[in-house]
Amino acid sequence: MNPVAKLLGGRVIWVTGKGGTGKTSYAAALAVLGAAKGRKTLLCEVDTSRPAMAAIFDQPADFEPVNMAPNLDVSNVHWDGALTAYVQTYIPVKRLVTGVLSNRVVRRFLDFAPGAREMFILSRIVSLMDDYDLVVVDMHASGHAYSMLDITRSAARLFRSGPMLKRAQQLQEVIMDAQTHTAFVALPEEMVVNETLETVDRMREAKLLGGDPVIFLNRATMPSLNEEERELLARLNAEELTPQAREFVRAGVWEDRLEQATQESMQRLGDAFGHMPILVPPVGGGGIPRHVVAQLAVALGRQVGVSRRELPWT
Amino acid sequence: MDLNSWLLDQKLVVCVGSGGVGKTTTAASVGLWAAIQGKKVMVLTIDPAKRLANSLGLEGMPPEGAKIDLSTMPDAKGELWAMMLDSRHTFDDLISRIAPSEEVRDRILANHVYQQMSATFAGSQDYMATERIYDVVSDRDFDIVVLDTPPVKNALDFLESPGRLIKFLDQQVLAWFLEPAKKGLIGSLMSGGSALVLRLLSAVLGKSFIEDLTEFMQDFESLFEGFRDRHDEVQKLFRAEGTTFVTICAPTESSTDVAVFFQEELHERELPRGGVIVNQRHRSDAGTDSAQEVLGEVVAKLSTDLQDKTATSILARLSMAHKRLTDLSTAEASVISPLREASMGGDFYQEVPRLDTEVNDLESLRRIGHHIFAVPAVIP
Repeated sequence: MNPVAKLLGGRVIWVTGKGGTGKTSYAAALAVLGAAKGRKTLLCEVDTSRPAMAAIFDQPADFEPVNMAPNLDVSNVHWDGALTAYVQTYIPVKRLVTGVLSNRVVRRFLDFAPGAREMFILSRIVSLMDDYDLVVVDMHASGHAYSMLDITRSAARLFRSGPMLKRAQQLQEVIMDAQTHTAFVALPEEMVVNETLETVDRMREAKLLGGDPVIFLNRATMPSLNEEERELLARLNAEELTPQAREFVRAGVWEDRLEQATQESMQRLGDAFGHMPILVPPVGGGGIPRHVVAQLAVALGRQVGVSRRELPWT
Repeated sequence: MDLNSWLLDQKLVVCVGSGGVGKTTTAASVGLWAAIQGKKVMVLTIDPAKRLANSLGLEGMPPEGAKIDLSTMPDAKGELWAMMLDSRHTFDDLISRIAPSEEVRDRILANHVYQQMSATFAGSQDYMATERIYDVVSDRDFDIVVLDTPPVKNALDFLESPGRLIKFLDQQVLAWFLEPAKKGLIGSLMSGGSALVLRLLSAVLGKSFIEDLTEFMQDFESLFEGFRDRHDEVQKLFRAEGTTFVTICAPTESSTDVAVFFQEELHERELPRGGVIVNQRHRSDAGTDSAQEVLGEVVAKLSTDLQDKTATSILARLSMAHKRLTDLSTAEASVISPLREASMGGDFYQEVPRLDTEVNDLESLRRIGHHIFAVPAVIP
């Protein structure tokens, strides 16, 4: 099955990758496509003090899911809300919850208690699964995303008994489910590919990958010069040139290097995973988040037979 | 003042910025540049992806750091050292140093909560960066220390985390928390207000966790003063003469946003705003002449042994590539203009062009250093 179709047909997609690769745009585009496919979809941003959804949709996300388009809700799963929601499941008396959580010392304590933050946030995301067919999570950058999911594993040592341990086990089941996918967004750059390979390995070893990981190679441009053209470009580059002429040659070399880098990155990722990453050419949109997501949704939509017309949001 | 002499006056350079903007590379370049000029430099990275080691061709660096081989740069007069922070290791060291007795030390090191906290708690890594920096700056005789920081897109978390730890462990909290414990741990949770809350917390988090935590905090109480002193020292260090914060970003909307935000944050915290470096900047000097006019003759001369269509197609291609690069350059200029403005409260603003090659060896680090320090910067 087409990997994008597989992602959209699952229950959960964690979207991660090295910083600056375009995680948030991919998470949003995948959610938009899931909704277009008729699945009731929730997009979550996670524990961020700089919410990004208002720049993509018409309004900012709130802790309680906000409807942004047909079939598409967005939630900002922030720490405060996740904490209250968690405590409420164990202490049903609302006034008591408010009382406990308004205690300054308790707040400080929970702010710091190791692992609690990650556990509460994951709990919230998983509890929302009941109301949706598909949940897409815009995770932190790879290292932090790993730590967050890994908390469920170390919880056995940390919370040796009691509700947190039980909850951690439930979370682990979700994480290991074959319908839970991880999408990595990479760029055709050596360091980014390194980090992607490292993170996938670590997550696999730690048993944090449910389904097979899906890798998007963002801003990919495949080689387009033939042998003679490349030869001529190399000769031009070695030639003494006027500054103005040099600018043209420099631009040509720049594009050629990007193309070569795509080829190399594709090869490395392909060798490591036994199948090629999904190549996504640079999208337009002029860096404006809303436009970038729209273009990306159209580009990814082509892979699963969703046409531009079926994406009213774009 | 030029940027080169500015650098040589610094003692601690803290590099901040969001992920993927070339922070680790820039930190290494800054370090190398100072080392070339005769300084003894330490570059400290807390990035878990071990990217600095990667970019310097170092594998399996020892925890106390390693001297980078600069023999390929005969003109380098100083020394470049690098160290990667392993938060667990650093935390254990710290506990051993400030624990009042071996018994307390061993109990803390064996505590479940402590082990988890030092191994996986994201904040402890940040905390340890600031902890370690103090040691490196005060104990070892480096002229300049360059600190690479974790990729943050929220506030300057790593500066805050020591404060958070201190707040968590302050006397009042400890007293509150340990009050029922002193009466006999969970057994006497029924008495008093804090006991009730603790009981509720036990219901939510699990009794054994609260027990471990209580034990941990009891032992930690004896370390509190040591911790607070360190925290105060680090805060002093961040504001000391010779310390500077350099904000690094890429010419993208999101990273520029974060960098502007950092300028305000630094200002509010009264931390020294060194400067702003915009990395990976695409540049193109737009001329009005076409590729045919500028390059037609040279292309014809160099392609006599090639097919005719190759000359035509390469000219068309160069023309398009040039347009794309120029458009990108213009788009970037408008994306970063708010940052340029925001940087005027600091010491400098500099743009570094994207290099043609991947930055993974000393020579390319030196080229970046050159673009930062040897090319005129904007100095407010």
